[in-house]
Amino acid sequence: MSYDVIVLGSGPEELVAAACLAGEGWSVLVVEAGPAIGGTAASEELLPGFRVDPVHGDAGFLDPRVLRQLELDRHGLALLAPDPVLAVPAERGGPLVFWRDAARTRASIEDRSARDAGRWESFAERMEAFARILEEVAARPAPRPAGPLRDLAPFLGLGRKVRGLGRDDMTELFRVLPLPAYDLLDDTFEDELLKGALGALSVRGLFQGPRAQGTALVLLHHLVGSPTGCFGTRTVVRGGVGALVEALAAAARGRGVELRVDADVERIGVERGRATVVELADGSQLSARSVLSGMGPARTLLDLAGPTWLDPDFVHALRQIRFRGGYARIHLALSEAPRFDGLAEPAAGTIVLAPSLDHVERAFDDAKHGEASERPVLEARIPSLADPSLAPGGRHVMSVDARFVPVDGREGSTGLRGSAAGDELADRAVALLAESAPNLRGAILARKVLLPADMETRYGLYGGDPYQGELALDQLLFMRPVPGWSGYRTPIGGLYLCGNGTHPAGAITGASGRLAASAVLADLEGQA
Amino acid sequence: MQIARVWDAIVIGGGHNGLVCAAYLARAGQKVLVLERRPVLGGAAVTEEIFPGFKFSVFSYVVSLLRPEIIRDLDLPGHGLHIVPLESTFNPLPDGDYLATWADPEETRRELYRHSPRDADAMQEFGRLMQRMAMAVKPLLATEPPDPASLHPRALLAMGRIGKHFRDLGEKDLHALFKLMTMSSADYLREWFESEALVAAKSASGIIGTFLGPRSPGTAYVLLHHYMGEIDGVFRAWGFARGGTGAVSESIASAARGFGAEIRTDAAAASVIVKDGRAVGVALENGDELRARTVISGLDPRRTFLELVEPVDLPSDLVAAVERFRFRGSSGKVNLALSELPDFTALPGVGPHLKGAMAIAPSVDYLERAYDDAKYGDFSRRPFMDIVIPSMIDPTMAPPGKHVMSIFVQYAPYHRNGGWDDQSREAFGDAVVDTLAEYAPNIRSAILHRQVITPADIEAVTGLSEGNIFQGELALSQLFFLRPSPAWADHRTPVRGYYQCGSGTHPGGGIMGASGRLAAKAVVADGGR
Repeated sequence: MSYDVIVLGSGPEELVAAACLAGEGWSVLVVEAGPAIGGTAASEELLPGFRVDPVHGDAGFLDPRVLRQLELDRHGLALLAPDPVLAVPAERGGPLVFWRDAARTRASIEDRSARDAGRWESFAERMEAFARILEEVAARPAPRPAGPLRDLAPFLGLGRKVRGLGRDDMTELFRVLPLPAYDLLDDTFEDELLKGALGALSVRGLFQGPRAQGTALVLLHHLVGSPTGCFGTRTVVRGGVGALVEALAAAARGRGVELRVDADVERIGVERGRATVVELADGSQLSARSVLSGMGPARTLLDLAGPTWLDPDFVHALRQIRFRGGYARIHLALSEAPRFDGLAEPAAGTIVLAPSLDHVERAFDDAKHGEASERPVLEARIPSLADPSLAPGGRHVMSVDARFVPVDGREGSTGLRGSAAGDELADRAVALLAESAPNLRGAILARKVLLPADMETRYGLYGGDPYQGELALDQLLFMRPVPGWSGYRTPIGGLYLCGNGTHPAGAITGASGRLAASAVLADLEGQA
Repeated sequence: MQIARVWDAIVIGGGHNGLVCAAYLARAGQKVLVLERRPVLGGAAVTEEIFPGFKFSVFSYVVSLLRPEIIRDLDLPGHGLHIVPLESTFNPLPDGDYLATWADPEETRRELYRHSPRDADAMQEFGRLMQRMAMAVKPLLATEPPDPASLHPRALLAMGRIGKHFRDLGEKDLHALFKLMTMSSADYLREWFESEALVAAKSASGIIGTFLGPRSPGTAYVLLHHYMGEIDGVFRAWGFARGGTGAVSESIASAARGFGAEIRTDAAAASVIVKDGRAVGVALENGDELRARTVISGLDPRRTFLELVEPVDLPSDLVAAVERFRFRGSSGKVNLALSELPDFTALPGVGPHLKGAMAIAPSVDYLERAYDDAKYGDFSRRPFMDIVIPSMIDPTMAPPGKHVMSIFVQYAPYHRNGGWDDQSREAFGDAVVDTLAEYAPNIRSAILHRQVITPADIEAVTGLSEGNIFQGELALSQLFFLRPSPAWADHRTPVRGYYQCGSGTHPGGGIMGASGRLAAKAVVADGGR
């Protein structure tokens, strides 16, 4: 069989790219190693009728262009807007609750600190303005500062937007981008709980504590596309990330994409510097004019294509990509929803347990020295509150990210392995949650723990890192996946990359697939 | 009645940058006066006889970053400056081994090979890359940062020129530079080297003067900053000034005097006199008032903007920026007068290793643990130390047969829980000596006198806010056009006739002098406007 494009992997980015390419009339095959479409994004059953997203905490920010272009609403996609967006239980004083209504958030902060409440709105507005700039950056290929001048032309518009912030906000943006979240938050607020909660959000995707430079950028990255002040929340899809995958698969099929599961890729055949063949584990060979891989830059190029065709410097750069998942994901099936002290309404959005910035930093210290955090930072969601379809009548599912777990810098995780280590960490996480939700412990029907090592062996995520590369300053933009190769092409002709490991990185969904498809299209049309 | 004299320029602070600024202004024909609060010149670059017969570079202790053009322009060797290169580095390790580098490259290669053949090979290429990176940054050291928010043709042109400079580096070097600007020193070095001892020894350069650990992003830049030093055109060369770092200050002062500048010690400035938005002179603490057309502050941004002038004379965004400018000093100093040389277990006896730099930085984890102590408000129980024995190079620093040892220590947080007092200062000194004694057991009995300097002491003596040796952290958010504040990074201030020349301005810390030179150029360019 021969296709114009074979897409490796069936996560959201790969499906978006496949649908975009098929929509232009090219023949496209998507191959998925697992039994279900979606790869790491496919939902799983914890107990019969209890569905969870195994790896991804949320669906990220859905690129509105993709939503429109693929008419996902026609393919069954329904978006929910849980409220409150973020709940932070407190040991002392009232909990912090962030709502879609900024005035309610302000009132909640006011209960803890009048000074912070007074500063909240201008802080939230400024952060949103900065996130809008990042949104613009995410919507186009990363600029190559030393590339041809004509490639920089699209960024003149971006430059105007940055200038449009006005002098104060513009220079503040430059100051904030490399700033530690610790300093940003400490300069602005006094309430430890508020700072701790936002500090916890600023280390998602990074194996660092909030004192590290670049953490303010991570906080902003996760704010892209969110309404003002809605820290910690994202697009919530009815049915979870798995349902997003189903809608994307339906859109792809509707455009003529062929989807094949249980098709494990063994090798990408390269002839005279061009990818021409995809060889499956069953020995079958599929030929293609182009191959677009969402299986991660290092795995695609080093394991599947092999380093023979690559320049040693490029191979070195691939080996330097830092994959540092750094957290465990704990899934719970619950007989009833946990009731958090002080929260009048169910916590439908995100629940964060991180009482102070120092708490987050100390949790990281443990992992830095090779131990799982004694008192982990917890980020939990109970998606069945807003979406009862995820669990049988009246019951619930809850997913908890527990930070930090030690990982090796490169090529895979070490340190914590095996069920005993995972159980110990999960016990600590549940005990911490039960301090503010006493009914939790008795409500647990089933529990499943994924350590970074599990994410690697089960889902093929190097270092257990769902972002396929740490969200560090030196691994973003034109440095992602490796310096100089941010344009989705590779040194091997006809071989392209998409997915979280490429610009604009994880938590911004659909953009990398759409942009990668444009690169493939441009080359296909150039050949035609 | 005597008519009050009007100076062309008064420089507040006789630190090395203030002196460099004064020398350049005097060289340009201006009548210049330097005011120094202390009896000695040099600020943090002073040599003092702390104990009879024992002279110390009390604070700053090595020279490398002093710009070659300044040495040339001011003919500092003609004014007594003599720099002796530090030829070796020596890091004892807990397992009884050591890691060293020597003056002879071949010997260094053999030593590295002993630890890791791969690293010995990689070192050559690494050295070349760092030299290229230092060359790439070097032009910026002598460039006034443009205001990125300005649409003035001059600012746009300057930005275009900087953009072109970086594009001209080519993609490969530009990416390498971007990595250095953003990564942690440990991550960066691990891309090159596998030996833990080597990564630790090198990554320690990235934490000097910062409140960061070697695994914190941003420290690779500080590592590069320490590679920017040139001695006689050789990058990454560190040296002693004969007579201590005070001799550097003295040579600059002598050059300034040679150009006609007047320098007064024991003359503490209290405030800058501002009339109708213009600096017109300086009021001294003794009540005297001196008139000047231009006033240049060599003090750090906090003192320059929040103490010497009234905040009402400044725009509120500048005041806010300076108020949140990060100082949080993290380093201390222990100066020892010794009856005999230290005898390192890892390399016993008196050898060439004692003539170079010695460091206690056995592993990245060790350095991170030292940082952890400081993060939560205490000094490191087992600190990082950078040690030199100046009397090995310059015997005049100590009585015959005796020695002086300078130990730069991290971390000692300025904001220590419970503050600093005599008891905590001595406890800090004990932690330093105890740790050193693990590697050189004879050190305890060799100590004749001990001077322990905490960040609080650095602040009290030199005036450096929070004891920060760089007049403000060398963090990405405080560099180039953000140093010390957007729109005021060109050594000018909102007060006409008032300028800033300390290392709290671009390009920042170390005995570099570049800030002083750039400020003088700005003053001359403005021509008294």
